[in-house]
Amino acid sequence: MGELFLEARNISKAYEGVQALDNVGLSLGKGSIHCLVGENGSGKSTLIKIIGGVVTSDAGEIVIDGGHFHHLSAIESIREGIQIIYQDLSLFPNLTVAENISLNQMVERRTQVVDWKEIRAIAERALVELGEEIDLNILVEDLSVARKQVVAIGRALTQNAKLIIMDEPTSAITREEVDHLFEVIHRLKAKGIGTLFVSHKLNEVFEIAETVTVLRDGRKVGDYDASDLTNDKLTFLMTGETIEYHPYTVDSQVVSEPPVLEVRNLTRKDEYTDVSFSVRRGEILGITGLIGSGRTEVALSVCGLNQPHSGEILVESEPVTIGSPRKANQLGISYLPEDRLTQGLFQHQSIGDNTVIAILRRLLSKLGLIDWTEKTRVQDHWVNELAIKTPSAEVSASSLSGGNQQRVVLAKWLATEPKVFFLDGPTIGIDIGSKSNIHEIIRELARKGMAIVMISDEIEEVRNNCNRILIMRKGRIAGEIEDPTSVDDAEIFRQISGKNGSEVPRT
Amino acid sequence: MTQKQANNVTLVIVFLAVTAVMSIFLPDKFLTVINFQSIVSQFPEYGLMALGIMLAMTTGGIDLSLVSITSISGVTAATVLVQYANWGLPPTVVIILAIVAALAVAAACGILNGLLITFANVPAIIATLGTNGLFLGIAIVVTKGSGISGFPEEFLVIGNGRLLGIPVPFLIFIGVAVLVGLLMNRSRLGFEMRMLGASPTVSQFSSVNNRAVLIKTHILTALMAGIASIIIISRVNSMRPGYGSAYLLITVLIVVLGGTDPAGGFSTTLGTVLAIVTLQVLTSGLNILAFTPFFRKFIWGLLLLGVMVIHYYRRRYYEKRVTQAARNAPPTPEGQT
Amino acid sequence: MNRLKKLLGHNETYLGAVIVVFALIITIVNPAFIKLDNLFGLMKSSSGTAILAIGFLLVLLTGDVDVSAPAIAISAQYIAVNTLIAIDSNSLLLAFVIAIVVGLVYGAINAFFITTFKLPALIVTLGTANLFHGGLLEFVGTKAVNTGQLPDAFKVFGHASIFDLTRADGSSYGLSIFIAVVAVLLLVTWLILRFTLMGRGIYAIGGDAESARRAGFNIKRIQYFIYMYVGLLAGIMGILHISLIRYGNPNYIVDTELLRVIAAVVLGGAVITGGKGTLVGTILGVTMITILEKNLVLIGLSSYWQQFFVGLIIVVGVALTHIQATLRSHHKVVVIKSQ
Repeated sequence: MGELFLEARNISKAYEGVQALDNVGLSLGKGSIHCLVGENGSGKSTLIKIIGGVVTSDAGEIVIDGGHFHHLSAIESIREGIQIIYQDLSLFPNLTVAENISLNQMVERRTQVVDWKEIRAIAERALVELGEEIDLNILVEDLSVARKQVVAIGRALTQNAKLIIMDEPTSAITREEVDHLFEVIHRLKAKGIGTLFVSHKLNEVFEIAETVTVLRDGRKVGDYDASDLTNDKLTFLMTGETIEYHPYTVDSQVVSEPPVLEVRNLTRKDEYTDVSFSVRRGEILGITGLIGSGRTEVALSVCGLNQPHSGEILVESEPVTIGSPRKANQLGISYLPEDRLTQGLFQHQSIGDNTVIAILRRLLSKLGLIDWTEKTRVQDHWVNELAIKTPSAEVSASSLSGGNQQRVVLAKWLATEPKVFFLDGPTIGIDIGSKSNIHEIIRELARKGMAIVMISDEIEEVRNNCNRILIMRKGRIAGEIEDPTSVDDAEIFRQISGKNGSEVPRT
Repeated sequence: MTQKQANNVTLVIVFLAVTAVMSIFLPDKFLTVINFQSIVSQFPEYGLMALGIMLAMTTGGIDLSLVSITSISGVTAATVLVQYANWGLPPTVVIILAIVAALAVAAACGILNGLLITFANVPAIIATLGTNGLFLGIAIVVTKGSGISGFPEEFLVIGNGRLLGIPVPFLIFIGVAVLVGLLMNRSRLGFEMRMLGASPTVSQFSSVNNRAVLIKTHILTALMAGIASIIIISRVNSMRPGYGSAYLLITVLIVVLGGTDPAGGFSTTLGTVLAIVTLQVLTSGLNILAFTPFFRKFIWGLLLLGVMVIHYYRRRYYEKRVTQAARNAPPTPEGQT
Repeated sequence: MNRLKKLLGHNETYLGAVIVVFALIITIVNPAFIKLDNLFGLMKSSSGTAILAIGFLLVLLTGDVDVSAPAIAISAQYIAVNTLIAIDSNSLLLAFVIAIVVGLVYGAINAFFITTFKLPALIVTLGTANLFHGGLLEFVGTKAVNTGQLPDAFKVFGHASIFDLTRADGSSYGLSIFIAVVAVLLLVTWLILRFTLMGRGIYAIGGDAESARRAGFNIKRIQYFIYMYVGLLAGIMGILHISLIRYGNPNYIVDTELLRVIAAVVLGGAVITGGKGTLVGTILGVTMITILEKNLVLIGLSSYWQQFFVGLIIVVGVALTHIQATLRSHHKVVVIKSQ
């Protein structure tokens, strides 16, 4: 590991009786690339906040560059060179790149007067140090997520960062951009600046991480050499249990049936081109691809949220035009969106209201008013059916855990009794335990005859749960895998990224 | 008890307290039929507008053009009414014509607001700020800046008449309030309005036709102003564009006081009605005590701030309880997020 | 070339062009419009709106709305004038000091409620607007201050000019000192917004309040600053207003200025969700509204068309701006909403 930069020793922290961290230690070498993984609730964010000085630990100490801190404050943490880049990047969309990079330093220095030459100079220096070029006068809102990330890293450098902590940095950027990010990280390493990735799953960051620390239920499971970890092993370390998947298969009778949904040569400019596929009753069709590959865009179009420019959609062999989500609904097509919190769930409304929003028409009495008894019956039915853990359906959806929230969104769509159900990232941000549970629900639906289209960038998820997989790359269907059991993750990854061999993730 | 109910309880307590104080200290003035009648005939016109604002606020928007819609539809009704002699039609027919015309114009205004919001994507606060000037402008142009007066006797019953001793405006208000209550609590549109207000993105993804819901909302909101305008011109027996411009702030105040979330997603018809009644009783009490209308304004401001501060503490209390409950709950297999 | 491109990207350029076209049309119909004395008069009469608009812009930049400024302005004006009358003073300076103090205190009250109880500024200021104005009428008075009672200092100030010019007929007119006041306030506000960390903090909060907090900005302090600054501006506006019309009615300003100010700022390109908006745009917005309101009569439209055209221009203006913004946005799904 070389020379130590930061060492967290015996850190414990409890929130109102719940032990978030119990005697956890973490050692980071100077310029090392380290990964901290754990499920939601494992304590990884608490640990990060303690290192960042945002939260004070109950016990333990942090040693940075030989200096001992029992109660590290946010300011001390920053002075010692620790910078946290949250997933939202904390940038100002309405300000220029130059200002975004320099502003934090100005605030920290408490300079009351702003010198614009200096702002530019600081930003320029940071970008030169990063080896990046971005127009300093551009507004940050006009940048891609990946460029925004660079701005955020640049900002960290202006505060003499020696360790940059990045929360899920690869979840919203394309493969090329991930590779670019890794170049930047390597450049930082060459300058002695370390990186700590925080993640809840095995993903791209493992490609360059040297060491991985796994947390579970507030305790440290151990430190591992990244090259020794496989997906299964990591899952076991994070959950303490082995989750076995049985491949999903359909019988030959289903395959001979005509498709419920058929898409022919669908095209939308700048998003996807000439996409054709079909799905039958009882099938779970996987669509996988990187961000920007067009996977979500195609689904949005079929579900009436994003008009295609050309091409045909057939439902039960009838050509249809789907101009709105309502129309999709009438045709029996439902879409579970990829962003649960902003697209899927009315967080501050009750579970019941969330459940019935798409089927209100069916709850109307003869007078045209909502039949409250019927509504209660329907919502209770779904709470039981999907085993949503709540004292009552009248409780606000925000009080539920991620997995249960996703079940509420599932309930909303299942209540419409769809023939074709698009699930976009059905288990994003959900714990592994809950994840397999949701997968089981999905399989059960397919077994009962629903046609499922599962969109996911987790190769393992589609490989384990789908009977057929489409691979999308740069807006086109790049391949189809008829028998997912016949290929391994590495092969699928090769097809997704269109690369050969060298950069296959270790799974 | 939910937060919504708690808010209504607060309002009822304020209402009862004011009524009790007035009744004890001024029984001969406060507890009279005349006072009751004056109380209930005063608030319907702005009460209706408040219900309209509530509808718009439920969807996360607002309608700042409401007072101008009252002007334009009032002018429409007045224009029809003063023409009746020339047409040789029976007064009842003319009155019905006038009401229909007024409501149609109001609905048209609502449609324009809705179109601006849903097709041009202008935030409601700005769209209705603009149309506020536009509608008032049209009303002024039509009347050439002067008032219209002299309506048929039969028409004046709407604003001044009594049925079984109860003022007609009050009956109209109660009727409309009940319909609005039904709309918000039992109809599909009301449900969708509330969900759209909570999150327009999620509602659009949930196959709600946001555009239709918002346009309908603004039509309904405008209709409230249309009905209010009929009561106003009947009560005053004249129409002057710009009448009631002071109502705008009051109606927003009432709706917030009633417990509707200005950010959308939560509203309560009962709360709004309670807020209207409480304010009117308070006003009447202050009038009897010979306080000026200015003092009333002062008290209203104070009341709004006071209620918001109470909301703040109650919200903190609830949040604390919810997080505690979440922490005390037995750990689920998937843990907490 | 690059400069031109940049210029064409600004909302202000278009608004400026519309104003020029408008001015040309009015001038063609009625050449009196372009005469300096008319222009000077317009500038003088719109200075109050301009000052309130500056304050409104600052609040809007943080993504909030302050509707209490007109109530603060009239309160500051009325309290200051009546104090001067009561102590038989003729000091304009004292009047300004009193008005500014009232403005700062009232602004601080707004900030107190907004920061302490985390309440939406729109609702708080709606409450305080009633509180301030109701309080003024109840506890200070309702009687108008007529020209005779008004201390001379105000009248002198109202007539003072930076320089005078002579008309053909020998009478003279000048550029009101009000313009200097507005210019100084604009300059100060511009310096604050552009060159102080406080000013950048205002933009930062409007861009992303949570990020601003993480960056180390003291949000509470910035909010106190903004609302007190609005109070200060409102106080100054109050004194200018009474000096202009030489009559003090405690019911003036309150119901007339608010919508005009909002319209000017929004037409000027400021975005209601915060973070975007410029002083140049705001002043252009005020100019646009003023020309519309004061000059329709000049081109032969009777005065009652005025309201109609102002409304129409605002509706068309905001509709075009927002349609353009929607077309430019990169969002996959356009969400239909009312906020």
